[in-house]
Amino acid sequence: MDLWLALAKGVFLRFVLAVTILGLLRHVALSLAALWVAIRRAPAQSLDLRQIFGETLAWLFPIRRLHRNRFGYSLASFLFHVGVLFTSLFLVNHIDILRDQFGIGWYAIPKGILDLLAVVTIIAGSSLLLFRIYASSSRQLSQLSDYGLLVLILGIFWSGFLAGRPGNPIPYAWLMLFHTLSGAALLLVIPYSKIAHCVLFPLIRLGSAVGWRLAPLAGGKVVQRLHGPEGRQI
Amino acid sequence: MILETGTHLQRQPNLAHLESKAFYHIDTYPGSDRLGGSRVERFLFAFAAILQQSNYGVLLDLYARSSARCGRCAVSCQVFQASQEARDVPCYRSNLLLDVYKRYFTMGGQLRGRLFGNGFLHEGGVDEMAELFYRCTACRRCHIECPLGIDHGLIAHLGRYILSEAGIAPKGLVVSVREQLEGKTGNTSAIPLPALLDNLEFLEEELVDSSGIQAKFPVDVQGAEYIFFPAVSDYLMEADTLMGIAAVCASAGVSWTIGSQYFDGINYGLFYNDWVLERIIQKLVGEAQRLQVQKILIGECGHAARSARQYVPTFAGDQQLPVVSVLELTEALVRQGKVKLDPNAISERVTYHDPCNIARSGWLLEPPRRLVRSIAPNFVEMRPFGKENYCCGGGGGLVSLDETHEFRMQVAGKLKAEQIQASEAEIVVTPCANCKKQLRELVSYYHLPVQVVGVHDLVLRALRL
Repeated sequence: MDLWLALAKGVFLRFVLAVTILGLLRHVALSLAALWVAIRRAPAQSLDLRQIFGETLAWLFPIRRLHRNRFGYSLASFLFHVGVLFTSLFLVNHIDILRDQFGIGWYAIPKGILDLLAVVTIIAGSSLLLFRIYASSSRQLSQLSDYGLLVLILGIFWSGFLAGRPGNPIPYAWLMLFHTLSGAALLLVIPYSKIAHCVLFPLIRLGSAVGWRLAPLAGGKVVQRLHGPEGRQI
Repeated sequence: MILETGTHLQRQPNLAHLESKAFYHIDTYPGSDRLGGSRVERFLFAFAAILQQSNYGVLLDLYARSSARCGRCAVSCQVFQASQEARDVPCYRSNLLLDVYKRYFTMGGQLRGRLFGNGFLHEGGVDEMAELFYRCTACRRCHIECPLGIDHGLIAHLGRYILSEAGIAPKGLVVSVREQLEGKTGNTSAIPLPALLDNLEFLEEELVDSSGIQAKFPVDVQGAEYIFFPAVSDYLMEADTLMGIAAVCASAGVSWTIGSQYFDGINYGLFYNDWVLERIIQKLVGEAQRLQVQKILIGECGHAARSARQYVPTFAGDQQLPVVSVLELTEALVRQGKVKLDPNAISERVTYHDPCNIARSGWLLEPPRRLVRSIAPNFVEMRPFGKENYCCGGGGGLVSLDETHEFRMQVAGKLKAEQIQASEAEIVVTPCANCKKQLRELVSYYHLPVQVVGVHDLVLRALRL
C-alpha cells in the first residue's frame, strides 16, 4: 500500500500535473490567439476593455452580487469555489508534497481553519448537488458530467477530511490512496471539462464582446461559400 | 420614486393553448434546398460556412469549454419567469447550439461521435432550436447575471443567423427585409416615396394646426449636418414623435434632412442575419454619402440606434460617419439652452421604459430620463430599471410577428405589464417603435389605464417657443 501511495504522490502526480498545466496553457494560448485574430478581423469597432475587465473582476469577488439572484444557490456556489481553491492550494500536506516533488511551496493556512472550510465546502457542494437533482429547471439543464464532477469533488473532500480524523472506520492508507487518486483524476479532467473556466474565466467576457464585432463582408462571404458567386435572394 | 413589481394583473395568462400552435410562420429563401436534402444538412453547412468566415468560432470555443450550466440566468429571464419551462432557461437554449458545435466542429466531439455513435443533430433538434431561439427576446438581461459572462443573447443571434442561412426564418421579418433590400419602395413598411412626401406635408400642416409650430421635414438637403433615419413605421404610426423631433430641430435651427432614396432606420438584420444587417447599414451610409451629410441621426428606435451605432463603423469602410441618437441630440440642445421646455408641462404620473437595445449596454440611460424628468414632475421609476430593465416582451423582432401575439402577451410581456401596473403611471414613455407597439398591445390586453407615448411626443407638448 505504501508503495502505491508513494507512486501516486510521486511519478503519477508529476504526470497528472504536467497534463493539467499543459492542457490549460493550451486552452489559454489558443483562446488568446483566436481572440487576437477576431479583433483584427473587425478593427473598426472599439472594445471597452475597462468595462469588460471591471465586470470580470467584479464576478471574481461577487460578494455584493450574491443576493441579486437565487441567494442560497449563489452563496453555496461561492463558498464551494472558495473552499475548493483554498483547501487545495493552502493545505500544509499538499504544500509538503509540492515541496517534496518540485521543491516549491508557499504559506499554509492553519489546518484548523481549513478543516472548517472543508466542512463548509462539503455542505455547499452537497447543496449544489441536491439543487441540481431537485430543481426541475436545473435538472433538465444538467448533463452527466455536471453530477459526476460534483460527486468526484465531494469524494475528494470526504476522504481527505476523514483521513485526518482519528477513529474513523476506514484505514488511513486506503483513504489516502482514494483521496490521492481521485484528486489526480480531477486534475486530469480539468482541461477537458467545464472546470477549464478556472483559467478561461478572464477571457469569456472579452470573448462575448468580441463576438458582437462582426467582420466586414463576412455575411457576403458566407452566402458565396454556400451558394457560389451568384449568391442568393433574401 | 421606485416601485416594486409583483402586483396581480386582472387578466391571468392561459399558457395551455399556446402549445398547440406553430410559433411563427417560416419563410424559406429560393434555392436553400441546394444546400442539402434535409434541414439538418442545411443547418450544418450553414454553421460551417459561418464559423469559417466570422468571429463566432472563438466565442463558441470559450463557451463550450466553460459553460457551467448553473442555471443562474433562469431567474433573470422574464420569459422563464412567466413560463417556468426549463426550455426557456437561457443556458438550456444556448447549450442546444453548443452541443452541435462540440459534436461537429471540435475534434473531441467528432471522435466521441464516431466511437459512440451519438450526439447527432436530428430534425427534432433543428425544430427545437428554430422555436427556442425565437422565444428569446434577445434582451440580453441574462448576460448581466451570468457569473462567467456568457452572452446567451449573442448565442440566440448566432442560432437565428445559422437557421436563416439554412432557410428557416420568420416570414414577418424576411418579407419586410425583402421589400427593404430588393423591393420597389426600399423600406420595410413598403411606403412609396410620393406617399412619404404627402405624409411629411400632412405632418407639417398638422404641426401648425395642433401646436402652432412652423417646422419643416426637409428632404434631400445636400450638405446638411444630419440625415434622419427613424423606424419607417413611425411615418405611419407615430406622428407625434416625428412632429416633436421636427419641432425641436426647427426650434434649435438644426440642419437636418430626410433622404428620398433611402429613409428607413429599421434593421431586422440585427435580429436574424448578419448579411442582411451589413447590407442595410450600407444603404444607410450610401444615402448619407449621396447627400454629403456630416452625421447620421437615428430616430426613436432601440434596435435601429444600436445597429447603426455599433455597425456603421464596421461596415462604412473609409466613409466613417458619427451616429447620433435623436435622444442625445435633443437632450444636448435642451442642456445648451437652444430648446426651452416647460418644466410643468406634463402633470400626469409618468414612467419610463428602457428599450433593451439602448439601455443594456448603458449607452442611453440618462439623456431620455433627463428630458422626461425636466417636463414631468410626477415621474416614477419602475423596478428594475436602466441596465437591468425587463424587456417589453416584443424584442428581437418578435413584435413584428403577429402570430407570436399570445406568447408576447401571456409570457414574454407579462412581467412588464405587472411593472407598469405597479408604477400606477398614467403615461408610459419609451423611445422605441417596437417597444411602443408591444406596450400598447400589452396595456390593451391587460386592460391597463395607461397611455404609451414616445419621448418626443411629450417634448412636443412641453416645447416653449
